[in-house]
Amino acid sequence: MTDAAAQPSSCTMPPRRSLFCKYFATLFVAAVVPLILGAAVEASFGYRDQRRQISAVLQADARAASDRIEAFSEGIRDQLGWMVQLPWAAGGDAQHKIDALRLLQQVPAIVSVSLLDETGTERVFVSRLLLNRTGRGIDMSTDPAVVGARANKVWYGPVQYQRDSEPYMRIAVAGSLPEAGVAIAEVNLKLIWDVIAAIRIGETGYAIVVDNSGHLIAHPDISLVLRGRASSGSFGRIKHLVGAASGGAVITGDQGNPVVALSVRAADVGWTVIAMLPTSEAFASIRAALWRSSILIAFGVLIALALAYWRAHRMSGPIKQLEEGVERIRTGQFEHRIKIFSGDELQQLALRFNEMASELAISQQKSARIERLKQFLPSQVAELVEHSHELLEGQRREVAVIFGDLRGFTAFSTRNEPDVIMAVMREYYEAVGAVTTRHEATLIGFDGDGVMLLVNAPVACEQPATQAVRLAIDLQTTVQSLAGKWCDAGHAIGFGVGVAMGPATVGTVGYNGRLDYTAMGAVVNLASRLCNLAKDAQILADPTIAGRVRDSVPMASLGQRTIKGYDRALEVFAVAPADLPSKPPGSARRMREKEAQDH
Amino acid sequence: MKRREFILLIGGGLAWPAIARAQGGTKLHRIFWVSTESEPDPFLDGFREGMRALGYVEGRNVTFETHYAPGNPQALRKIVSELQRADIDLVVSSGPATRAMTAVTDVPVLFALSGDPVALGVVKSLSHPGTNFTGSTFLSLELAGKRVELLKDIYPKLRKLAVFSNTDHPGEPLEWRATLESCRNLGIEATYVPFSGAREIENGLMAAGKVDAEALLVFPDAVTLVHRAKITELAIARRLPSMFGWSEYCDAGGLLSYGANQRTTYFRLATYSDRILRGEDPSDLPVMRPDKFELAVNLKTARLVGIDLDVSSILFRASKVIS
Repeated sequence: MTDAAAQPSSCTMPPRRSLFCKYFATLFVAAVVPLILGAAVEASFGYRDQRRQISAVLQADARAASDRIEAFSEGIRDQLGWMVQLPWAAGGDAQHKIDALRLLQQVPAIVSVSLLDETGTERVFVSRLLLNRTGRGIDMSTDPAVVGARANKVWYGPVQYQRDSEPYMRIAVAGSLPEAGVAIAEVNLKLIWDVIAAIRIGETGYAIVVDNSGHLIAHPDISLVLRGRASSGSFGRIKHLVGAASGGAVITGDQGNPVVALSVRAADVGWTVIAMLPTSEAFASIRAALWRSSILIAFGVLIALALAYWRAHRMSGPIKQLEEGVERIRTGQFEHRIKIFSGDELQQLALRFNEMASELAISQQKSARIERLKQFLPSQVAELVEHSHELLEGQRREVAVIFGDLRGFTAFSTRNEPDVIMAVMREYYEAVGAVTTRHEATLIGFDGDGVMLLVNAPVACEQPATQAVRLAIDLQTTVQSLAGKWCDAGHAIGFGVGVAMGPATVGTVGYNGRLDYTAMGAVVNLASRLCNLAKDAQILADPTIAGRVRDSVPMASLGQRTIKGYDRALEVFAVAPADLPSKPPGSARRMREKEAQDH
Repeated sequence: MKRREFILLIGGGLAWPAIARAQGGTKLHRIFWVSTESEPDPFLDGFREGMRALGYVEGRNVTFETHYAPGNPQALRKIVSELQRADIDLVVSSGPATRAMTAVTDVPVLFALSGDPVALGVVKSLSHPGTNFTGSTFLSLELAGKRVELLKDIYPKLRKLAVFSNTDHPGEPLEWRATLESCRNLGIEATYVPFSGAREIENGLMAAGKVDAEALLVFPDAVTLVHRAKITELAIARRLPSMFGWSEYCDAGGLLSYGANQRTTYFRLATYSDRILRGEDPSDLPVMRPDKFELAVNLKTARLVGIDLDVSSILFRASKVIS
């Protein structure tokens, strides 16, 4: 009982929480999952489109940068071409020097110009920093610039970092006539910074230029270029990664942030322009969309939570009511009613619950009534009163009737005080009642010191005769043991029993609600007469009983006896003395005295 | 979409707000300006202008504390100990003052030198300073010879040259040696007219006026820059073609100037200053060198000193012509 009381409180909480979880899971799947899927699909398609578009933009910008770089190098090449149009004439140095100075003025990126004659000897050298030289100078015929220019007309030297910092490059052009010689320009590549710095891709995008070996030539942050070869490692990696991709590649940029990058080669100088746009800008629109979706999803989750909480709460209220109801019913408060007006199955359940409660109340009242009835009616009859009315209706059937009667009671009651009499009577009634219950017989009633029992009505039994005899023996034995006690107290009281069997009408009789269950018929009178005939400690039976129980209980015929109310004498049997306790001699003597007074 | 790229995209997106927050800030930066020149200081003005252009407002997010020791770099050494005490974000040393700052190791130092910072020992290399020093070098030495050559170009008959120089300017001997070397190559006899700091400039000018010369070469430094009007006046009065280091001199009446644009140089120095104040390591910032040299010509002065520009190649080579 304590377990049952503790259990409801401990097992109610988890189910309610799981109700919330189930609602939440359902709502989440219904509302949030589509949102997430939608966002993911949108982001995926958006990313693809955006990437295509970014690639196109980067391609255009990188191409523009590469065109400008080519224009830069072509400009220098063309200008140098002017220097080597005419063959060297005697005394032409001065004119060549003027041309070279004008070239310096024309092209700011050129730091110095060397003009060589057909033998590869320097004739004119002009510089922005060093002193100018004219006239025959050093022999440069084996210089790679001269060799390269003579072979291909134009020669682009490798990028060199002056003092490992500033990028320089030599460009050499040979005239179409060998006599025109070769012009070599030293170019400060810092000047193409202008070309690169001017390129703005979106808000934060930029372009860089690297040479074939991945050395940085131009970058909007000129200080990176001035670091010379030291920074070439990271740019070589970028060049390699971008070069490997067909379109725009998402890589880690030189500033350590992810960028979309695309490269275009400037063919003549062999450099690579890499246009980069940080992903933070490139995919800003997608990120914004993802943010929006995230907010929607968060909103959806909140709504799902709120709805789940609300629904679970709506459910848990009535469930709690029902729980309380069950608990109250358990403690016997059948008048408790549940009020749920949710208009759904729960209301229906409450309705059913209330019906159950009222039925339980009725059933409880019924069993209480039976309990009360049992105090006044034979217990079998009391049960039958509630359950099967038809058995109590008047019917004719074969019954065994047992009468018992105290001997010497009249004398005892006249000699003794009422409280002593009541004490004896109470003991006697209790003993009779106990035996009746033990043998499932029906106690029809007490009549002073007499008692009437019925077997096989209203509840049928298999062998009524045998059961009746056994009951009679038990009754006789029990009362005789009481009588022994009474004798010791000085009261001379005996007990005789009569048993008869035969058809009788059984049923309830009475009026105005006061009903008695009883049997009517000759057999009742016969049993009563036999009881009267019986001596103390004797059980007399009629021939019907004797015939039925002969096999199991020894019976002794007492011969034909005349019985009051009967025309013919009837053979009477006594239950054999072996089945009865031996009478103490004293009591038998007193009995005989008493009998004389009674009859 | 490749998964790795998508992660990069998401990762980049997440990192973005943190980067955005790291920018800006309204901290008041304290900058020490140390110089061996004297006030008024045109270089400080150029630097201030650069800082203003980069969004710095004096008194609000930057303050300048100036320390001058005219002609005496040693006097600046005591500032080093002051630096240790004060909460200084950056030292900007103009010119030779850098020599006095070599002992500074824990505060970034920006320099604007005419000489070679590697030779001076403040940086390990131009591309990777590797110390708390970085800045700008003007390549003055290389240009010293070029200035003589240009004077010769504009005035081919030049044989005698007066060289007006402030000996307080550290590195001046090297410049004089380079000039002498160039004069020898070009067959010019150079007369050295030294003076020591702003106090002696009047005497110096008087001495220069007495020298038998056909042209005047003035070494660029703050003192001659401040007194440029007097110098050019003297040159015009004596009908001497004059050669200077910066175009500011030509604006004041100098005939020729050849050198890096000061404004650009100090503007770039301000850019580095901004980057260092934002947290960049000076040891990673390569030393800058000017990539453009201006040749300025004052036509009015040319007329006054009787130079026929038509016969020389100067005019078409000039990047700045003042009329």
